[in-house]
Amino acid sequence: MMRRVANIAVLLVAAFLCYGMQTTTPHYADLTAPIPVYGKIQDTILTRTFDIAVDKVVFARTLKFDQFGKQNLLTSGGVWAIVTARLDAADRSAMVAAATWQGPDRLNYRTSERASSAAGALPIALDPGVPGRTRLVFEILPSQVSGATLLVSGKLAGPLDSEARIALGSVATQPNGLPEGVTETYELGDTF
Amino acid sequence: MFGGVRSKLKAWIVGGIGTIAALAVGGALGAFDAIQKPAVVLEPGQPVETGPWVVRPLRAYTVDKGVYGLPLKAGEKALVFEAEMTNRTAISSKNYFTTFQSTGGTDEKPFVVLVRDSTMSPALQPGLPERMAYVWGLPAGAAPPDRFVLAVNGEIYKQRDNLYGAPGWYNEHVIGTVAMAVGTGPDTPDAKP
Repeated sequence: MMRRVANIAVLLVAAFLCYGMQTTTPHYADLTAPIPVYGKIQDTILTRTFDIAVDKVVFARTLKFDQFGKQNLLTSGGVWAIVTARLDAADRSAMVAAATWQGPDRLNYRTSERASSAAGALPIALDPGVPGRTRLVFEILPSQVSGATLLVSGKLAGPLDSEARIALGSVATQPNGLPEGVTETYELGDTF
Repeated sequence: MFGGVRSKLKAWIVGGIGTIAALAVGGALGAFDAIQKPAVVLEPGQPVETGPWVVRPLRAYTVDKGVYGLPLKAGEKALVFEAEMTNRTAISSKNYFTTFQSTGGTDEKPFVVLVRDSTMSPALQPGLPERMAYVWGLPAGAAPPDRFVLAVNGEIYKQRDNLYGAPGWYNEHVIGTVAMAVGTGPDTPDAKP
């Protein structure tokens, strides 16, 4: 009798262990996720291949820029966020290819393809000792403005490579939901 | 001796019952799979959730001149279908090329254009509704249809897919069809819900 009870107990423990191991197995996407390097706005963040320091973040209702010799006015159902940042290669020539605006609700906004032909858009090639700059343009929901994180990586899909995660801090909002200090039209000029 | 035969018979009968039960269950499951589900007819102007998108079919019309920055040669015609699309996922996406499929009478693949500023197939941002135009070329000499029937496709979310273990949207399937009245020219009004 005791022996039978002991057998059943061993069986239950084994089943419990197996179930525990199954549910705690890390997700493959997590195992191969980018390796975060955390920082905040104005900090210089050192990733494996490049350094980045965010200068400022500006919000605008519309964007104006020249495309193929024609003036373009880009409207949006949300709001435009324009991030300018300084870049530097770490120790050899490098690329910066992808940036994502991650809102407080974990919504991920890739840089807008509508403004991808403006000066300073990704991808950007960097050489050591030559300071580089980028201007990242995101089209986001007004609710994702405050408390956002900027993710910048060297490749479009960069498993197991470092990724800068820059806390952009909180932004005051107007009663109409738009961020404080939003400009009506931002001109994406050749210099920035 | 007879005891041996009896127990053998019993074993055969029990085994047979098990086999028959397994066959019945398998057959029933197969039959359920094979049942033709009735085609769902969707209304123009009504929002439809396809999984990654909420779409609202708005209008369809033919053009014989270029539209939304797409050039059209003299004598060519194109069928334009417009819908409002909202990205329900958490990341910018352009996974919309097969969301609407023509059920015949047009070229196979459409051009997809953002109506707002005629950008060719941009990624749409989470939570921001945008009006998109799907433009199908019409074969030379073909008369445009009175009603344009589109298949609306959806996908399901998988936490991990079978090949890479990566999360994503898979298993595209037809949600229903929507029949749009085809107008002439870009002044065609939107379908009212």
